[in-house]
Amino acid sequence: MTTSTLNGSPIIEVTGLDKSFGSNQVLKQIDVRVTPNEVVCVIGPSGSGKSTFLRCLNLLEKFDAGHVVVNGHDLAVSRTNLNLVRRDVGMVFQSFNVFPHLKVIDNVMLAPMKVLKLSRREARERAEALLAKVGLTDKADAHPRQLSGGQQQRVAIARALAMEPKVMLFDEPTSALDPETIGEVLSVMKKLAEEGMTMVVVTHEMGFAREVADRVVFMADGVIVEEGPPKQIFDDPIHERTRAFLSKIL
Amino acid sequence: MNDGGFAQFLPPLLRGTELTLMLVAVSGVVGTALGLIFGMARICPVPPLRWVAAVYINFLRGQPVLIILLFIYFALPLLFPLATFNRGFTAIVGLSIYAGAYMAEIFRGSIEAIPKGQEEAAEALGMGYFGKFRYVILPQAMKIAVPPAIGFLISLVKASALVSVIGFVELTQAGHIISNINQEPLQTFLVVAVLYFIVSYPISLLGRWYERRLA
Repeated sequence: MTTSTLNGSPIIEVTGLDKSFGSNQVLKQIDVRVTPNEVVCVIGPSGSGKSTFLRCLNLLEKFDAGHVVVNGHDLAVSRTNLNLVRRDVGMVFQSFNVFPHLKVIDNVMLAPMKVLKLSRREARERAEALLAKVGLTDKADAHPRQLSGGQQQRVAIARALAMEPKVMLFDEPTSALDPETIGEVLSVMKKLAEEGMTMVVVTHEMGFAREVADRVVFMADGVIVEEGPPKQIFDDPIHERTRAFLSKIL
Repeated sequence: MNDGGFAQFLPPLLRGTELTLMLVAVSGVVGTALGLIFGMARICPVPPLRWVAAVYINFLRGQPVLIILLFIYFALPLLFPLATFNRGFTAIVGLSIYAGAYMAEIFRGSIEAIPKGQEEAAEALGMGYFGKFRYVILPQAMKIAVPPAIGFLISLVKASALVSVIGFVELTQAGHIISNINQEPLQTFLVVAVLYFIVSYPISLLGRWYERRLA
């Protein structure tokens, strides 16, 4: 387990990140390092800026100041080839965002073919392997609208993995799901973590964070209040703000 | 009535119908292409392109088709003395830029109807601007655009009658000339009306078929 932020060169290094929506500053001087194979869960109340923070990591959200260095590329530098960086950063959204006009298998094959220029056959092989991994082999030819939320989210995970990213970002991946389908998505994520995927997960699933995370980051009001191993954050939080949050939700 | 009866006037009316169909087909295709270009430019990340598209769309949508046609046919040759604008060319250009302005708004609306998350998912996969449009946004937007585009195509059939103002002999102008010759406006314009119906009704049917298929 990687619990320290000091060992190894980081795959994501965020320093002094500021972001405002109009006059509302949602991120204030955020510093985070994520090292390879690490699973970082970001928790905190709604409006704490955790989703915005995550979206800055692949520049779906532009930030105002600071640096986000991903895989050696500084996203604050305008000549950075964003599409090249994004190939290595998979993202899973709260609202799945599967492509409704494409069959499940084509959802997974699209980016490898169009971005990585894989042949149809290579892309199909890769997609079939990933659908097997997320347990959806039998849904390959289904249309997304025929799937449950949990199944759609697993398609979205397979689609992101098809780019063979170095790091995966999860933006509240289970918040829009029916309770009975949350488990299937979390178990796929847990499997990924066990295989050594580097993951940054914004989540309200405290059980998942406690069990799977190497490190938990607690955010509130646009700042990182504290971070540490899950055991310490959940059982022995240092800050009153963390304690207050956890007492409400646990 | 004169020898030969009404049948002798059918060939020129059919020829007019043919030209009306040609006008609608060509300006429909060119207008759709223009509409796609200007509709995308209208909401692209490059401000000058957005401004150009906004001027084109808003200015042309505010003009009567008649003025567009009269301007190209009578006014443009004064500005460009060396260029000649024959009737057919003027009719096609006029209807095409008119159609382009309307189709641009149809495409813009359809593109904006696609949830933001689709765009973000494509971007997060590293698809560039054009890949994102080509493979994710447009296939979905096209489905939304088809019903209003078909509605507009029917109104383009009717707008094509206005090119008679510059003397292009399509169906309306053919009917007008023939009714002056045979002095049978009732028969003549009835046949013209039926011919317009024969052109436009299949387009409505196409639209209805499409909407049923979606449902």
